[in-house]
Amino acid sequence: MIASRTRGLLIVTIAALSACATSPYRRAGNAGEVASALERSQAPAASSRNLVFLVLGGAAGSRVAAYDLGASRLLWTQPGEVTTRIAVGGDVIVHGAPPATGRGGLIVARDIGNGAVLWQRPLASEERLAGYAVDANAVYLVVVTAGAGKHGVQGSVVALDARTQALRWRHELPTSRVAGPAVRGGLLAIPVDSQYVILLDAATGGELAQVLSTAEAATFVRALPEGMFYGSRGVFLLSPATARGSRQSPGYLLAQLPPFVRPFYWYDLYRPEQAQYSAIDRNHILWRVAVEGDRARFRDDTVVVHDYRFLFGFDATAGALRWAYSHPSDAVASADTGSVIAFVTADGEIGALDRMTGARRYEARLAGEVVRAATFDTEGFAPKLAGAEGGAGPAPNVVAVLGGIVADPDRRFPDLKLFAIEEIGRQPGREATSKLLDILGERELTPLAVQKTSEALTARKDAQSGDLLAAALRVHADYAEGRSAPPVDFLARAVAALGPSGRTAAPDLVAQLRQPETTLPAAAQIARALVATGADDAVPALRDFLTMYRADPANDADPSALIAVAEALIKLGSEPDRRLLLFIAEEPHTVAPLRAHLVKALGETDPGAVKTATRATAATAATAATAATAATAD
Amino acid sequence: MLVNRVGAALALAFVLSAGVARAAEPKPADAKPAADAKPADAKAVASDAKPGNAKPGKKKGSKEKPSADDAGKKSLPAARLDAARAALVGEDDAAAIAAAESLGGSGAGNAAEPLAELLAAGAAPARTEATLDALAKLGAAGALTAPRAFEVLDLYAGHRAPEIRQRAVKALGTIKDPRVVATLLARLGDAAPGVRAAAGEALASRRERAATPRLFALVKRGDAGAASPLAVLATPDLVPQIAELAGTVDDGVIAATLGEYVQRADVPDRQRLDVIRTIAKLAGASATTALVEYVASVPAKDDRPSKREAQKLLDEREAAQ
Repeated sequence: MIASRTRGLLIVTIAALSACATSPYRRAGNAGEVASALERSQAPAASSRNLVFLVLGGAAGSRVAAYDLGASRLLWTQPGEVTTRIAVGGDVIVHGAPPATGRGGLIVARDIGNGAVLWQRPLASEERLAGYAVDANAVYLVVVTAGAGKHGVQGSVVALDARTQALRWRHELPTSRVAGPAVRGGLLAIPVDSQYVILLDAATGGELAQVLSTAEAATFVRALPEGMFYGSRGVFLLSPATARGSRQSPGYLLAQLPPFVRPFYWYDLYRPEQAQYSAIDRNHILWRVAVEGDRARFRDDTVVVHDYRFLFGFDATAGALRWAYSHPSDAVASADTGSVIAFVTADGEIGALDRMTGARRYEARLAGEVVRAATFDTEGFAPKLAGAEGGAGPAPNVVAVLGGIVADPDRRFPDLKLFAIEEIGRQPGREATSKLLDILGERELTPLAVQKTSEALTARKDAQSGDLLAAALRVHADYAEGRSAPPVDFLARAVAALGPSGRTAAPDLVAQLRQPETTLPAAAQIARALVATGADDAVPALRDFLTMYRADPANDADPSALIAVAEALIKLGSEPDRRLLLFIAEEPHTVAPLRAHLVKALGETDPGAVKTATRATAATAATAATAATAATAD
Repeated sequence: MLVNRVGAALALAFVLSAGVARAAEPKPADAKPAADAKPADAKAVASDAKPGNAKPGKKKGSKEKPSADDAGKKSLPAARLDAARAALVGEDDAAAIAAAESLGGSGAGNAAEPLAELLAAGAAPARTEATLDALAKLGAAGALTAPRAFEVLDLYAGHRAPEIRQRAVKALGTIKDPRVVATLLARLGDAAPGVRAAAGEALASRRERAATPRLFALVKRGDAGAASPLAVLATPDLVPQIAELAGTVDDGVIAATLGEYVQRADVPDRQRLDVIRTIAKLAGASATTALVEYVASVPAKDDRPSKREAQKLLDEREAAQ
């Protein structure tokens, strides 16, 4: 028996050792090797260029163009179609293009100075392009080749001379599950098999190290001047500390952002469709990193969210909105240059916003052009707006921008609209209260948006804006003038939240209580608001309401308004009002739930006063009263 | 039950002495009926409320219906009012409604008081409606002069139920107090067509020019109920604006407005001619009806040009069909 067990253990051990010896990832997670690789890597020299490469459409046909942001002029335009994203390095740009005939595709290299085609490399029928990267020395292609390798399909990296296409080196990857690369300072990074990143010497193709992402997939690698990064749901700074990447490592970054934000930090380089320009270029997070050794944090604690027509600056730690910018048309591309957020819109506007304030720092326009997509080569671009104090225009008015988003007829952004409403509620001052009131007046608002607005209005308890609430309540429905009633219940709720500070709105609440259009829930809310504000001058209106409707069977099913008004009268009224309530409690035509409630309420506050109230009255309506009391409680 | 022991009417007085509603505070003497008053006394109210009984000694020939001049001068005896009060708040709905009707038909100046008191204390819808109708009837007879009547009708003009608002507005319109105008103007913006129409008619009957812009706005929205009141109040310069609404508003509404306008005695016949021709350009039966009604409204002996033109246009319409 013992011999048998020993033999089994031995077999398992041998198998494990054998697997270890043959695993292509036995170097994965080796911090020392990663440190050595990074030491060999040199930070890229700062470029003096500020170019944006544009993919143009429209009547003039498909073209590629380069625009010089510094000179505010178009450098060159060349005919040509672009299928995969433009990559920039040295004096070359590279992009995908459709084949002249048949299937597959072309990799096209152009001279950065005039856009002329330097070379085109057709993909063989057995090849699939996973991605490419460019630096001053070479173009690096990651290709999957069918019919090659032990498993009949092989991933490999090919380094080509950037200007001549001459083969520099070729490196076979251990798997066919490979993604697009990134290159920085002589270090080439390639994600493989979802969780690994292989680091190669860009000059020779020799493998330097392997990274293992233990916490989440490594679907991207990204080269920035401040470092090499990898990740998927979050961002890891490549360092010895993240050779085995975990979320606890000091180089891991994840911004706190509101629910409407799609947490998209960089393209999934395993997915060929994300190599193309797409909606992702219009809806993503823009980020830069401050690096101190192994530690990383978002630069200035700021990340920017690009959401089609809108850009938002957020505090990356707290998730608080710092600024908001709205544009009439979609921004098709955007980039964080480290100083500004540069963007290009579909209708040809090229702009830049201060990444800390959202203030305009640059503006130019390509007249008459339809811009389909763009790639920026603008590291360090820090423009100053001509004629503007401090080189920047005024920071956008956050409340106005958010209000515009809510009112925007574009129906693509329901979650964003809800976010905008909540954010307006968080902004201080009368302007925000006024904007929320405007929003409540919108007819096209969804019920959820109405609810959110109401909640925001109530929660802010803006004691300085009682007059604004009063003004909103002063609006009455009028068929002749085509005017509908304001959302009285929500306004009343907001007034109630102000407590005694809301007293100025009491006369307008009273006027609404007397309006026939005021719904029963709104009437109940008005009564509660009058109590909350201590509006004892509203007592006559409360009496009127109670007497006028006390015997109306329409209130049998839902007596909550009558009960709320009766409660208000108990709290705000005096002795004659108690006598009125006693009468109402005992008058047989009064609806049963109200009678029952009053018998109980008056009995609790002055037991002697209702001695004469019959038990029958209470018993008859007891059930209804219970329901009514529950309905009254808000 | 307290109410049963001391009597419903006493309970009502109890309420009113507590100062219910905006309705004027009742005088204790008025509000406190005899404790033994019974709903059955409503019949007595009805009989006593007859004009002949209201003023003993008056000739039978003049008592069939009170004139506006007589109204308000008559008054019902206190005991009868007490009986009416008891009936109005009693448990018998039919008796309550009968009491309200009899008070309304009395034409007596003090008949409005128990009715207003009931409204001030609140009642079930059927009684409320009967009470409002009774007040309107008193108003039509010129007997609705109590300040409390305005207060309570003004309140009920804002009731949630459109049929109650409509009745309140109708009754309110009979009150000469200028304070009613603001409420009537406001009710022109009511969501219920019947209420708007009642307000419009009341304002038109008062020749309240301030209502004209709002009535025009209603016609502009195609509100048929505003056609007749606007026709009464429209000034000559407004007529082209009404005519210009053709194509944007139902022709029937325009035809009704202009049709009633041409029937006004104060409109010069020269202008009538223009308006008649405008009506004739409108399509549909409403335009034909307007022309027919105009021709019919002119005495047979009166051969004014506008009548001849209307007849001619009618003949042409008939021929065209």
